[in-house]
Amino acid sequence: MQLAILSTILALSSVAAAQEYKLGSPVADFTVRDLQGETHTFNQLKGVITVVTFISVQCPVSNAYNERMKALYADYAPKGVHFIFLNANSTEPAAAVEHHAKSHGFPFPVYKDDGNLVADRFNAQSTPEAYVMDKSSVMRYHGSIDDSQQESGIRNQWLRKALDAMLGGEPVQKAETKAFGCTIKRVRKSL
Amino acid sequence: MLLLSLLLPVLPAAAPALQPVDEAGVRQILQANRGKIVLFDFWATWCDPCRAELPALVKLEEKYRSRGVVLVTISCDSPDSGRAAAGFLRKTGVRPPFYIKRVQNDEDFINSVDVKWSGALPALFLYDRAGTRAGSFFGETDSVEIERAISKLFP
Repeated sequence: MQLAILSTILALSSVAAAQEYKLGSPVADFTVRDLQGETHTFNQLKGVITVVTFISVQCPVSNAYNERMKALYADYAPKGVHFIFLNANSTEPAAAVEHHAKSHGFPFPVYKDDGNLVADRFNAQSTPEAYVMDKSSVMRYHGSIDDSQQESGIRNQWLRKALDAMLGGEPVQKAETKAFGCTIKRVRKSL
Repeated sequence: MLLLSLLLPVLPAAAPALQPVDEAGVRQILQANRGKIVLFDFWATWCDPCRAELPALVKLEEKYRSRGVVLVTISCDSPDSGRAAAGFLRKTGVRPPFYIKRVQNDEDFINSVDVKWSGALPALFLYDRAGTRAGSFFGETDSVEIERAISKLFP
């Protein structure tokens, strides 16, 4: 009986630990690791507006967005937007992430989310998948960078629209969109 | 000529090409299979869980083919991976025709299949004999769960 109660408590606490961050609510501090092994916290990295984007080394969808992510960084970093690009794939070690970033000429740092702990708190499922927080760390946008992997098919640049709205002090019209791409390769948790 | 005719049986058969489909194409496939239980499998060569689960889906179709179950695979690969995708499907024993997603706008396509689908792969969608969606399975799904859902559609 006691074992059953303990098992239930443990199961419920593991559920409570997952998906902590929700749209419209503040994102609590979290820790990531840079590719040299140093840890950084969200509170250290965040700006007036902060974009957290989960990306991948191998995912063709994520890689289809490499140039668009570089353009976003070039356009919005000078406006005070901070970008945190995260690799949460257990199958992609820091060395591979570093090589990928260099070979694609990323002007921004990419961090590792060890054990996909941050991905779990965001309930991030895909790469690429973006989250935008305001100066109070409240999540104001979650979803895709735009609505088409093929650039010729883009009709809505959702992330740009969200950033423009927030920079202009306006509410984000479409706060949640579909983040299509490759599933994040999570560590397999054993019971 | 004699040598060629001797060689032909041992040469590997070319994998059928993947037929491009969009929103209308998916509806047409469903219409063409009215009266059958259709399991759509959205997958890609770069999706490890997709490749891992396909053999089990092939076995499910084989088991229930006589009861009208059809597996329809739709690759979400880019055009230059079409040959690799077709080769993998053939090697895995998937019955043609093979399809590949070719759409203008990904979000519109995803919503046309299921508004609850994020677009992440793998994704399976089960349709009953009337063409009504009977189940959506996102991410890696145990084939036992799929089989259970299929069985519910038998009289």
